[in-house]
Amino acid sequence: MKTIRKALALVLALCIVLSLAACGSQGSNESKAPDPTKEPDQTQTQSPETPPAGDEVAKEITIWIYPVGGWSDEKNVKPLLDKFTADTGIAVKYEFLAYADGDDKVNTSFTSGGTPDLIMEGPERLVVNWGAKGKMVDLTDMIDATDKSELNEAALAACTSPDGKVLEYPMFITAHCMAINLDAFKEAGADQYIDLETRTWSTENFFKAVDALYAKYNDTVAAVFCKGQGGDQGTRALINNLYGGKFTNADHSQYTWDDPNNIKALEALKEKDGKGIAFDASLEGGDELKLLYQDVLKMAFCWNVAQQLDPASQHGDPGKTMGGSEIVCMNFPTESGKAAELCGGIWGLGIFDNGDPARIAASKQFIKYMCDSENAADAAKISNFFSARSAAEGTDLSNIFADNDIMNEYNKIFLPSLGEYYNVVPGWAQARTSWWNMLQKIGTGEPIADTVATYMAEANAAAAG
Amino acid sequence: MAKQPKTAMTRALQRRENIAGYLFMLPSLIFFLGFVVFPMFACVLISLTDANMISEGMLGNFVGLDNFIKLFQDKEFLEALKNTFIIVVVSVPTVCAFSLWVGSAIYKLKGPVLSAFRCIFYLPVVTGSVAVTVVWQWMYNNYYGIFNQVLGPKGLGLIQGRINWLGDERFALWCIILILFTTSVGQPIVLYVSALGNVDQTLVEAAQVDGATDFQVFWKVKWAQMMPTTLYILVITTINSFQCFALIQLLTKGGAGTNTVMYHIYYTAFKLTERAGHFGYANAMGVVLAIFIGILSAVQFKLAKEK
Repeated sequence: MKTIRKALALVLALCIVLSLAACGSQGSNESKAPDPTKEPDQTQTQSPETPPAGDEVAKEITIWIYPVGGWSDEKNVKPLLDKFTADTGIAVKYEFLAYADGDDKVNTSFTSGGTPDLIMEGPERLVVNWGAKGKMVDLTDMIDATDKSELNEAALAACTSPDGKVLEYPMFITAHCMAINLDAFKEAGADQYIDLETRTWSTENFFKAVDALYAKYNDTVAAVFCKGQGGDQGTRALINNLYGGKFTNADHSQYTWDDPNNIKALEALKEKDGKGIAFDASLEGGDELKLLYQDVLKMAFCWNVAQQLDPASQHGDPGKTMGGSEIVCMNFPTESGKAAELCGGIWGLGIFDNGDPARIAASKQFIKYMCDSENAADAAKISNFFSARSAAEGTDLSNIFADNDIMNEYNKIFLPSLGEYYNVVPGWAQARTSWWNMLQKIGTGEPIADTVATYMAEANAAAAG
Repeated sequence: MAKQPKTAMTRALQRRENIAGYLFMLPSLIFFLGFVVFPMFACVLISLTDANMISEGMLGNFVGLDNFIKLFQDKEFLEALKNTFIIVVVSVPTVCAFSLWVGSAIYKLKGPVLSAFRCIFYLPVVTGSVAVTVVWQWMYNNYYGIFNQVLGPKGLGLIQGRINWLGDERFALWCIILILFTTSVGQPIVLYVSALGNVDQTLVEAAQVDGATDFQVFWKVKWAQMMPTTLYILVITTINSFQCFALIQLLTKGGAGTNTVMYHIYYTAFKLTERAGHFGYANAMGVVLAIFIGILSAVQFKLAKEK
C-alpha cells in the first residue's frame, strides 16, 4: 500500500514537472522542416536567398504575426512559409497574435524569455515602441539605392527611427476609409449627398445624410465608438477630416487635438448625439463593423479594402450586409467635398535583437525572401493589401491585383488620398488610450474644449517621455 | 493501557510515512511556492523599483516609496480605488444577505426540490466566466440586447428609447455589480444551507420552549452558530469583489466609469509599456490592494470573533 502511495506521489510530481515543461512549447506551429537525411536541392543552394558561404545561419527561426489582413489566416500563410523552408532550409515556427493581448505577450517575453526572431506589425509598435527601447535590429544594410527607389517613400520613412535606422522592413500598405450601406442610403434618399463616382462627400452633406437616415430609421445610424482603442483610426480620421483638423504637428513630435477644426468637428458630432449619431462607449471598431453587417448601423468609420474583400467577416458574401444590402467604401467627408486625408496602414517585418547573429542572419534572409524577391507578390497578395514597393528584383508589384476590380478601384480612388503617417509620435500607446477616454467623456456631456485639452495634455506628456 | 515504547521499527515506519506524505504534498507545494509565495515577495520588492518590463532583467532602480506616493496623487488610480470600494461595499452585504435569505428559505426542503434549488443557484459558479459574461454582454447590448427590448417601448414601456447599459457611466458599474452578484451567490447559498442544517436543534427547541420568538431563535441561536460560515463567506466575497477583473476586461475595458484597481494594475503593467517604470508602479498598486484586503479581512475576523 505504501509503495503504491509513494509511486503515486512520484507520478504526480512527474506530471506536474512535465506539464510545466509542456507549457513552454504550447501554441506554436512550425513549417515543415526539411528532412536532414536528404541532400539539399542543388537549384536551391544557388538561389539568391541563400546567404554567402561562411556566414552562420540558424536552421530555425520564430515569427509572431499580428492579424494583418490575410496574414492572420494559417491557410494563407503556411504554404508561403513551407515554400521558404523548402527553398532555404530554414524552418519557421509561427504564431498568430491577437491585438487584444499581442502586446502583452511580446512585452512579457522580454523578461520571461522566448522573444521571437521576427514580428509582423506596423511602425507604431516596431519603431516607436520596441524600436525606441533598443529591442529591434537595424535593417539599414538591407536597403540599397534600388530598394529605396522601389519602396513607398512614406512607408520607408515611417519605418525609420529619428536617428536614421530602418527598424522595420515595409511590406504592405493600405488606406483606411469608411463604408456605407448603400441600399439604406437609397431608401432614405441620402444617396443624393454622396458622389459615388469619386466616393467623396462634403461635411454638410454628411450631416444631411445622417439626418435623412435618422428620419427614415429613427435610430442610431453611425457610432463614434470609444470602448477601447480597436479601430480608432476611424474616429481619428472622421474628426480630423470633417473640418480639416490635424492630429499631430508637422514633425510628429506633439499631438494637436485641440486644433479648432477638431473642436468644431467634435461639437458638430456631439450636436447629432442621439439624433442619428451616438458616442458609444460600449463599442470598438470590430463591434461597429458587426453592427454594419447586421444592418443596424448604416455607416462604419473603421473600414479598409481587406474588409471589403473578406467573405468570412461578411458571412460569405463580400461587400454585402447580412440582409444583402450593398456595402460601399467611401472617403471621409471633408468641408470642401474633395477627397479626404486617409489614415494609412503600414505593416512590415522587424527582427528582435536576441543577440544571436545566426538567428538574425536567418531572419534577414526571411525578410529578403518575403519582401524583396519574386515571392514578394505572393506575400503581399495574401494580405489583401498593396505592396509597399513598386518592384522587387525585377518583379513588378505595382499591379498585383490586376484581376481584381475592387482592388483596382481602391488603388485608383483611395490610395492617392493616403495622408501622412503620424502614428510615429512617441507615447503612442498612451495617446490612443487618452483618445478613447476623451471621446467617452465628451459622450457623457463634459465640455468639449476642456476635455480635449485635458486628454491631449496627457498624451503630450507621454510624447515628451 | 501501558504506552508502547517506540522501537526502531516503528520510527522507520513513521519516517517512511512522513516521506510519503511530503511527496504527496510536493506537487502542490511547488505550485504554492512558485506561483503564490515567490510572486508575493517579488511584488513587494518590485514595487520599490522603477522596473519596466522592456528593460533588461526584472528589477529596475530602487526608488523607495516613490511609487506609493505617486499612487495617491494619481487620479486614475484613486478613481479605480473608489470604484473597487463601491463594488465591495455593495456586493458583499447583498451577496451575504441574499444567500442567507435563500438558504433559510430552502434548507428545510427535502430531496430533489432542494437539489434543484442548489443546482440553479450554483450553476453560474460552475459555468465558465467568459461564457457567462458573453451572455450578459448580449443581454446588455445597446442595439439588440434583451433588456432594452423588454424594458423599451415595444416591451413594458418602462424606458424611452434605449439605455446604453455598458457604455453609460450611470449604469455600467451597476451592471457589472449585478453580474458579480449572480455569479457570487451560488457558493454562499450552498454553505448556508449546510450550516443551517447543522444548527443544534436541541438549542433551538430549548429556546422555543423558553418562549423565544422566531426572530430571537434565529438571531440568538442560529446566527451565532453560523458565524464561522458567515465569516468565511464574508472574507471570500470581499476578496472576490476586490479582485473583479474578467468582467471589466471583457465588458468595458475599464471605460464608462468601471475602472477597478485590478484592471488598472493589468492595464498599467501590460498596456502602458511606454511609461517609464510602469511595472514597478503596477506592483505598488498590487501591494496597496493586498493591504486593503488584509485590513478588511482582519476587521471582519475581529468583528466575527467578538460576536
